[in-house]
Amino acid sequence: MPVATQASLKGITPEQLESTGCRLCLNNTYHLGLKPGQEVLDAVGGAHKLQGWKHNLLTDSGGFQMVSLLKLAKVTEEGVRFLSPHDGSPMLLTPEHSMSLQNSIGSDIMMQLDDVLVTTHPDKARMREAMERSVRWLDRCIKAHKHPDRQNLFCIIQGGLDLEMRRECCREMVARDTPGIAIGGLSGGEAKDDFCKVVATCTELLPELKPRYVMGIGYPEDLVVSTALGADMFDCVWPTRTARFGNAITKHGVLNMKKEQYAKDFGPIEDGCGCPCCRPVDQEGAIGVTRAFVHHNSAKETVAAHLLTIHNVWYQLHLMGGARDAIIADKFPAFVKEFFSNLYPDRKSYPSWAVNALKTVGIDLFES
Amino acid sequence: MSSDGQQPTTTMTFELLKTAIKDGGARLGRLTFSGRRTVDTPNFFGLTSRGVIPHVTPDNVEKHLHTNGTYMALEDFIERPQQYMTRSPPIYETPSPVNKPLNSFTAMPSSIITVLGSRRLPAVCSPMGNTNQGISVFTSTGFQAVTTKEYINAVQTLNPDIAIPLADLTHKTNTPTSKRALRMAERTDDWIKEWFTEMYTKKDSKIATFAPVLPISYSMQWEYLERLSEEHASNPAVLSGLAVYDADLIPDISSSSSSSNKYKNLDPLPRLALTAPSNPHQVLRQLSLGMDIFLLPFLSTASDAGIALSFTFPPPPPPPNNPTSTSTSESAAAPESDLPLPLLPLGIDMSSPSHSVSLLPLTTNSCTCYACTTHHRAFVQHLLCAREMLGWTLLQIHNHAVVASFFAAIREALADGTFEEKARLFALRYEPEIPSGLGERPRARGYHFKSEGPNEVKKNKPAWSKFEGEGEGGEQGKEEKKEKTVEEKVDELRIQDEQSGTTSALASGVDSVAETPLVPDENADAKDLEEKGFAETVEEKK
Repeated sequence: MPVATQASLKGITPEQLESTGCRLCLNNTYHLGLKPGQEVLDAVGGAHKLQGWKHNLLTDSGGFQMVSLLKLAKVTEEGVRFLSPHDGSPMLLTPEHSMSLQNSIGSDIMMQLDDVLVTTHPDKARMREAMERSVRWLDRCIKAHKHPDRQNLFCIIQGGLDLEMRRECCREMVARDTPGIAIGGLSGGEAKDDFCKVVATCTELLPELKPRYVMGIGYPEDLVVSTALGADMFDCVWPTRTARFGNAITKHGVLNMKKEQYAKDFGPIEDGCGCPCCRPVDQEGAIGVTRAFVHHNSAKETVAAHLLTIHNVWYQLHLMGGARDAIIADKFPAFVKEFFSNLYPDRKSYPSWAVNALKTVGIDLFES
Repeated sequence: MSSDGQQPTTTMTFELLKTAIKDGGARLGRLTFSGRRTVDTPNFFGLTSRGVIPHVTPDNVEKHLHTNGTYMALEDFIERPQQYMTRSPPIYETPSPVNKPLNSFTAMPSSIITVLGSRRLPAVCSPMGNTNQGISVFTSTGFQAVTTKEYINAVQTLNPDIAIPLADLTHKTNTPTSKRALRMAERTDDWIKEWFTEMYTKKDSKIATFAPVLPISYSMQWEYLERLSEEHASNPAVLSGLAVYDADLIPDISSSSSSSNKYKNLDPLPRLALTAPSNPHQVLRQLSLGMDIFLLPFLSTASDAGIALSFTFPPPPPPPNNPTSTSTSESAAAPESDLPLPLLPLGIDMSSPSHSVSLLPLTTNSCTCYACTTHHRAFVQHLLCAREMLGWTLLQIHNHAVVASFFAAIREALADGTFEEKARLFALRYEPEIPSGLGERPRARGYHFKSEGPNEVKKNKPAWSKFEGEGEGGEQGKEEKKEKTVEEKVDELRIQDEQSGTTSALASGVDSVAETPLVPDENADAKDLEEKGFAETVEEKK
């Protein structure tokens, strides 16, 4: 899922986002709560209407931003206490508030407010507290949720890197029977091995017929490995953010279009890519963008960033589409192997975390 | 022109359908290039920056921007990065299956006419000045010289539909001295001679030449204009149009206005305005002087400023109940007068908070653009306020659509003979200038402008500054300040907390900075908190 933080996927129109094949994108409750604010959302009739988006929306709870953006935030049992970034006045975000705001946004999938800690947090007691508090907050969220008939509230599994704590949290959360389940607190700088273990541990305990959403995951390798470990949904700002830095995601790795070597490269951003930027010019909807043109305007005109955003979002969605097709065709291991062989021309440079994680689910990257 | 011979040397045709007003006035025409969109004139072309219409991706240009042509400046493509001083500009090597490298490089749809000039519009004045060999241009890596030879080569390589030969211009606001003006005319005359030889004598170029008409008095450039006229008389193919830098010269060169019939053969040529009019009133004035195609920098300026243009041609009729509801004596005295009506704004500031919950289209005059039909003011207001790039994109699409329908209505009026009256009403009904807009602009780039002196206001807000805007010294001072602020805030919290009488959660949260109690306090009940905003301010708890 691409991330449209402030109700707009950076620079591209909802129509262009639709053309990348996107049907579910993410808005941030924290940002929408500050701008345009709940009154406006209520008056306008929700975020779909605000941004003219005909498809699905997912909103986070705002808890992660409290921790990632605001150094001065403090978590109490009541909620997250922080200083308003606008005027510095003390504010409090409770699970009830988060729900009320997400009800106003009208997102199709909403997330519970959770107590987020960096996974590398050294204090075990604090970690346990965060996990248990997240469970209590889920109960408060379920109670405060006004539209369970049309908005799906997902719980978020916490517990840091402690697998036992994660298991405990899984059991508690699953018992509350939310329509979907998220694995939270990851992508905060933990070792990839640990990340994989947490995902694998959680997916093992989760019911089959509920979507599993790993929050904040975005590199192509992470998506593929997490899919192999049994996760279903992901979100990350990385593809769109890196586009604005002039980087194109391709199956052979990330290319920085600002490099001089692309100044006279008149090929598409990625050969064989089917996105509106790269598809052959004689096809419907093709723009006919060359690497040279992106290089020419990278960091100079925003249009270059918009074009790379379209390409990168398409790439990520297409990658997951390929994984789905492979699973249906019962060829998923082959898909994973091909993915890694494209990304790393030399087998020796395969990341060991991916090799090990995939081994646990019976995919051997070195087997031909 | 193409009908004259068996093998037309240029693929462009321009027919004048009607010259509406006597005395060299506004005219109705049609410009056609084979394989391009037909352009009914008067009309406008999009203005690009580095080959793109700012904020609008090429697919949206084709789908949503009502423009049939674009102007591109060579100076946007020929920078020499410091580490790669010797490389030739990449654009010259663009492969193009349709032999339109300029379109191919910029991904501009091939249906769109391209005009290539040397400088951006408006151009930054170069401190180096021009020489007899060529002009000085401003690239994203600094000033550099472009000789006439280089320019001709570039034009032949890039193969635009229309090319504007080099002109010796100062790009300053003040009028040049007569000595300078004379040199401008002489140099431009020399350069055009070379141009015609290189382009049409030595080679059989298909590119349509729009020769510059300089922004100096007629008496200074009559010799140059005479040459244009003669060359065109001997071979119509060498000259397809005029690039006019000063609309007030049109009466001098059109045969119907002056006594002389000297330039009669220049009359049927399309006139492209490089005059950068700053509002639609100026457009109307230049148009009634006989301008055909406009380049309008005010479009992007308005979009960047968060302005949705809102004018229509003719202006909307005055509200019917207006005269009766106000003073009856006034309406009785001057029933036909449109003076008491308040002037209408040319644009609406979309960044104004008054639009924050408005589900209206950007402007209410039945605009059919993508922005008006799929989005509303509340979204654009939110985007501008959040500095999301999409806000400017939507405004560009809307503003181009407004101007496109403005020109369409003008053409209609010219066809049915009501132009003069409607133009008069327009001048009376609308404010003289486009509002400046309070919204924050997108980031300005180095090639957009050049500072021209000391004490100039910075174009961009600094991206970061010292914490809380003060604190001296380096890291140390900054850290101290930060710590202090936290403590201050915590103190504030504590005081408020004591005042409000609730203790527990907040107090303990303050005492142990990282830790909070495991079990909620019995008195704490989040339910009774006001459900307003993202989270309520603590003061409200009282």
